[in-house]
Amino acid sequence: MAREKLLGPLGESHARVDAPDKVTGATRYPGDIALPGQLWMKTLYAHRAHARIKRLDVARAEQTEGVVKVFTARDVPINEFGLIAFDAPVLAGDVVRWIGEKVALVVAETEQQARQALDLIEVEYEDLPALTDPREAMKVGAPVIHPHYANNVLKHVPIRKGDVERGFAESDVIVEGAYYTPMQEHAYLQPEAGLAYLDEEGRVTVQVAGQWTHEDQHQIAHALGLPDERVRVIYPAIGGAFGGREDMSVQIILALAVWRLDQMGIHRPVKTIWSREESILGHHKRHQMWIRAKWGAKRDGRLLAAEVEVIADAGPYAYTSTKVLGNAAVTCTGPYFWPHARVDAYAVVTNNIPAGAFRGFGAPQGHFAAEQQMNKLAKRLGMDPVELRLKNVLREGALTTTQTPLPGGVVALPQVVQVCARAAGWKATSTERHVADENLPQGSTSTRQPLATGYGFACAFKNIGFSFGFPEGASAAIELHGGTRVERAVLKIAGAEVGQGGHTVFMQMAAEALGLPLAQIELVASDTATSGDFGSASASRSTFFAGNAIRGTAAAALQKWRDEERPAIAIYRYQPPATENFDAATGRARPNIAYGYVAQVVEVEVDTETGQIRLKRVWCADDVGKAINPQLIEGQIEGGVVQALGYAITENFVTRDGHVLTPYFSNYLIPGVLDVPERIESLILEFPDSEGPWGARGMAEMPFIPLAPAITAAVHDATGVWFDELPLTPWKVWERLHERSYTPHS
Amino acid sequence: MEQTTIRFTLNDRPITHAAMPYRTLLEVLRDDLGLTGSKEGCGTGDCGACTLLLDGKPVTSCLVLAAEADGRKVTTVEGLAKDGKLTPVQVAFIRYGGLQCGICTSGFIVAAHALLESNKTPSEADVRAAIGGNLCRCTGYDKIVRAILAAAYDEGELVDESASMPVMEKPLFTEGPM
Ligand code: FES
Ligand code: FES
Repeated sequence: MAREKLLGPLGESHARVDAPDKVTGATRYPGDIALPGQLWMKTLYAHRAHARIKRLDVARAEQTEGVVKVFTARDVPINEFGLIAFDAPVLAGDVVRWIGEKVALVVAETEQQARQALDLIEVEYEDLPALTDPREAMKVGAPVIHPHYANNVLKHVPIRKGDVERGFAESDVIVEGAYYTPMQEHAYLQPEAGLAYLDEEGRVTVQVAGQWTHEDQHQIAHALGLPDERVRVIYPAIGGAFGGREDMSVQIILALAVWRLDQMGIHRPVKTIWSREESILGHHKRHQMWIRAKWGAKRDGRLLAAEVEVIADAGPYAYTSTKVLGNAAVTCTGPYFWPHARVDAYAVVTNNIPAGAFRGFGAPQGHFAAEQQMNKLAKRLGMDPVELRLKNVLREGALTTTQTPLPGGVVALPQVVQVCARAAGWKATSTERHVADENLPQGSTSTRQPLATGYGFACAFKNIGFSFGFPEGASAAIELHGGTRVERAVLKIAGAEVGQGGHTVFMQMAAEALGLPLAQIELVASDTATSGDFGSASASRSTFFAGNAIRGTAAAALQKWRDEERPAIAIYRYQPPATENFDAATGRARPNIAYGYVAQVVEVEVDTETGQIRLKRVWCADDVGKAINPQLIEGQIEGGVVQALGYAITENFVTRDGHVLTPYFSNYLIPGVLDVPERIESLILEFPDSEGPWGARGMAEMPFIPLAPAITAAVHDATGVWFDELPLTPWKVWERLHERSYTPHS
Repeated sequence: MEQTTIRFTLNDRPITHAAMPYRTLLEVLRDDLGLTGSKEGCGTGDCGACTLLLDGKPVTSCLVLAAEADGRKVTTVEGLAKDGKLTPVQVAFIRYGGLQCGICTSGFIVAAHALLESNKTPSEADVRAAIGGNLCRCTGYDKIVRAILAAAYDEGELVDESASMPVMEKPLFTEGPM
């Protein structure tokens, strides 16, 4: 097929292909699908942080009107699941280790009957000591939650580079800090839901909203003791994910119910929909972390030595904690060059809600500590924070703390820093603010003005794709139909459309790779029965992996077309260069395939009388390598910034003894339209990644990462107070502002 | 308990429906009448995903009993486009990227319609106030605000192009064989 010119719409803000159905209400999410004869399932949760089940009696529940069957641990063939380790029970049989542990499943004719029967299940528990503070749980002599995690430490990552003692001895200034970052709830607006049935080939089929069809399939098959091919997973529309759908919620339990019922001769679909409260109690959260940092630098701003300890609360099971911890270990020293570094990062099991993937995957926590340290250092040195960054950011060839250079050709950290600062008018508006506040006269309270404005800066780096030696790859298939000309092309790919616009971008990239107009591309997506493994819609990897898979597939399909095959059908799997896990002693590793880079300037207004912080303006410079669809990229920047605003200011996830006190939108406050900045300036940079398709990097997590430390820097600029703990709720801010004498800058 | 009979106008069509008196309008629409465009994001009146128009006014239908609709006019997101022609608000959401996962979208679109019915020349602050009760976890709201303002002011330019957009020849997702 001769290709005169690029017909594909790469680089255009093409409207989302799923938009027409979404604006008319026609799109179907898992909870919107109904099948004839469907039964309803409801789940009984433990609501105990740590307890032994002494007695479980479902007889009364099973005799209730409308109830078809109650399932317990005994019904699960291989009662374990987990993304990186099969260490969690599908249904708890002997011990419950967190409040959302599932104990029984009721299947009934109606949802209401299933719900009512839950109350008739009799469970007797013997409470066990609940460990809810990882710093206590990791102490020698603390009770152990799993025998195989000694001292409750799931994973320890040490990183050793150079000689930190020498580095500190040679330093002119030392900055030390202790930071806390809280749990965060994903709060996707579509609570977990799904529908299971046996398909025409007898496969246990689950329609559900997830992030990785083939991993869901594999975990379901494992628990049921079936080969993967006997299980099928289909994603209809997905109402947001953000990492929160990467681990199992309703997938296995729905499959279990429909499969067991089928064995009993009941061939009916089973449906479940979680309430908002169940969603908040039932899936993992962003890891809360405690980070201590000691940094040394020369008077001219050159960083010399960093010593950092990270303690991450994993909750009772592994989920993705070891990987999140690895990312926190790599990012807790920031995107900077260090001659000497010593990091000890620990993921600790507790009886809190499990922690797992959430946009940024350890990088927001690591960078909160790193960027606070950097901004404090700038203040100590009397140096502009932007200038201090430019002296220290990693550049091409520089060795990271894991003693390898960053991959991908250009390392655009200096560029994102400079472009962002320039766009925000950093020098013009802010330099005079960044004088050492210690030198300002301490004013009396009578000169206080209620509204104080401040500016803050932060930057970040984050990997694209799975890290630490995980076998990465993504499959796609393309069919070209027609006679003398290609009339239509079908792209089959399992990648999930979680709202990011993945499917639109996949089709744009297929059009480009095939040299066809977008209207001739058809997409068949997100079904294990029609596509090979794509991996997860996470780690900012979908565009990068889909693009490479589509390019390879398109080339193979076009070759077959030239060889006169009709239809021309090609299947291809993209595999990137291998990565490495940390060396057990030094942490030396080439941990990642590619990175994205980001910098932000924020303007805040602090009401010193109420403690209210208003984020007024944000400038975000993001190196995306190649913008396949600029409007969708802006959408990720704006959405990521606002989600991070929630993390930094409004979202206060409160727990007590492992119980959640904020399981509703009325007390867990995600930002509304009246909380957000009036404008977020997206500054999209295109420094191509050498491995990325058309140079594209991933970008969806990056805008989240630097926002919280940029806000705390701006609050310091406004008030002279450093806040080392998130979120900055009004009462916390007010208390801190009023416990010291305080001078507004303006 | 006995079912009550409710008579109302649903998207311009008369409906007579029997339902238990404790059931919400949202449940009846979604579970009995198959109109799943209105979503349940919270069930407690906090998110706006279930917003629809009752006699032209936006309400959170998870907090409205179905029986309260008796004798009234209910308009859901499915009832906005007439004869397959999208409204300017719908076209603007598509063009300006006012949606991502889309689970909040029907609520925003219905709220925007209610605003533009009562105020043809809204300010940006009016727009923000009108959607102050609708949560979105994906977009950060900016493109939603831009879309609604565009629907108000560029109405003439917002022709429904969805017919010329790439459409799947077959539905993207088949629904299982049952
Ligand atoms: S579902 Fe009605 S307001 Fe959230
Ligand atoms: S687009 Fe996902 S919640 Fe609004």
